[in-house]
Amino acid sequence: MPTVAELTEPYGNFMLGPVRGPRVCDVCMTFTDGYPRCYACARTPRALDALAPISYSVATGQLHHVLAAYKRRNGRVGRLLSTQLAAVLWRFLSGHEACLARAAGVASFDFVATVPSGAGERDERHPLHRIVSEMVAPTRDRHRRLLDRSAIPVAPHEFDRRRYNVTGHVPGAAVLVIDDTWTTGSNVQSAATVLKEAGAQTVAAVVIGRHLNREWGRNEQRLRALDRPFDWTRCAYCAPASGDPAGLPGEDAGYEPPCSS
Amino acid sequence: MTPTLERAALVTLLKTATRPWQILADAIEARASALAVLEEERGLLAHDGLDDAAAAIAAWQRSGITLLTVLDPEYPENLRTVHDRPPLIFIAGSLRPTDARSVAVVGTRAASPEGLARARRLTEHLVGNGFTVISGLAAGIDTQAHTTALRCGGRTAAVLGTGVRRSYPRENANLQRRIARDGAVVSQFWPDSPPTATSFVRRNATMSGLATGTVVVEASHTSGARAQARLALQHGRPVFLPGSLLEQPWAREFADRPGAHVVRAPEEIIATIERLNSPGALVP
Repeated sequence: MPTVAELTEPYGNFMLGPVRGPRVCDVCMTFTDGYPRCYACARTPRALDALAPISYSVATGQLHHVLAAYKRRNGRVGRLLSTQLAAVLWRFLSGHEACLARAAGVASFDFVATVPSGAGERDERHPLHRIVSEMVAPTRDRHRRLLDRSAIPVAPHEFDRRRYNVTGHVPGAAVLVIDDTWTTGSNVQSAATVLKEAGAQTVAAVVIGRHLNREWGRNEQRLRALDRPFDWTRCAYCAPASGDPAGLPGEDAGYEPPCSS
Repeated sequence: MTPTLERAALVTLLKTATRPWQILADAIEARASALAVLEEERGLLAHDGLDDAAAAIAAWQRSGITLLTVLDPEYPENLRTVHDRPPLIFIAGSLRPTDARSVAVVGTRAASPEGLARARRLTEHLVGNGFTVISGLAAGIDTQAHTTALRCGGRTAAVLGTGVRRSYPRENANLQRRIARDGAVVSQFWPDSPPTATSFVRRNATMSGLATGTVVVEASHTSGARAQARLALQHGRPVFLPGSLLEQPWAREFADRPGAHVVRAPEEIIATIERLNSPGALVP
């Protein structure tokens, strides 16, 4: 049986640890032109108390491809990719779930839920559901089916609280939501909103990939500045605060991290 | 096999590519249709030229060349999971589903007697355990890997930096025919393509993608085998370096990267690959 460490080790060659700081969105950690919040997060109601993307996922890169392919492929390869992503989630949570909880202002999370997949697919059959509810030891005992996709048609990639129904009992609970990819955040923020409306006290999220396009703005340059081996001992919430972690030399610093408790 | 029209649309998209191959592969797989992507690009003109492309596919087939596209279920599963997979490959001979259990054995053209002996022992061990040995048909280590696999009655696949109708180097034309007869000759380039400045590195990416891991038998810092080792790590695939390779400064530096394994015996390679490729349960 493979160990979590040996399955995740090769991923360190293409994962890029997210950073916080100036010109980085304070919600989703994408790069901005200098605003504290990216366009998508600025116009999306924010119900999430904290978000930890495990890695940036660059369009056409290997992580991006795995995050698309693990859902598309059946059979041996689909199972293999699911096992690898389960190991990534396991290793990250065992090292940094406490950092995220601290950033969200709680001691720990009571429940773990996955964001239901797009219409037409049943949630139970979705490989992410299986990863979180069966394969990852740090989540499987706390996994609850708290969200259901509603029958109401909503625009994709747009925040819409009608997208999900809460199916579990959450009043007063601290909930950790898990999704594979964050692009605009519309799914996770919609899910967090209905969980809060149902009484959840705290909702934080872990996503495996924070999607980025190399071509957008100065992303190419900023990604190149980040190009170093992935460090499993650090996350965005426990990395030492630096003047400009996104690495644009010669520009202003003087930034206060929002969740440096 | 995917309908002729879809395959013709994919060939047409690539013949007249306006976007990088990888972007096209992503778009085609996301929509599960090349025709849909072609129609998005060309609108009403999309169907022009599809008959020519279908005729070209039929002519390749008649001359013994199989075309596999990312839409075909027969497209190699290992290759499908790397980000820079080619949208189509040509095959002389045949790839089998069991060829997924494979290791790429690569190294320098200017091989030492020790390097050649190591490549021979490694290949004997791999084919003896039912692995397909993949290499690049170059002189030196590659040639030793292919010829040993054939001699032992094992499976071997050659991944070319030219089209499958070309032989490079010319001295290996006969070996190429034998591999096509008993194994598979694979290329991501049009069948008559000559080698170009970038084709061998692109071929290395495909070779890494086809195999569950890459072994660098012997290589200097300028070797294409070193380039393949780098690409394999970028694919999240293990790279195996024999201990003796650590005489090379590049290999000592490389051995520290996540996913690189220094090995003393072929058994270690097989054990690691089997463990990494057993889906399902995980242990901390």
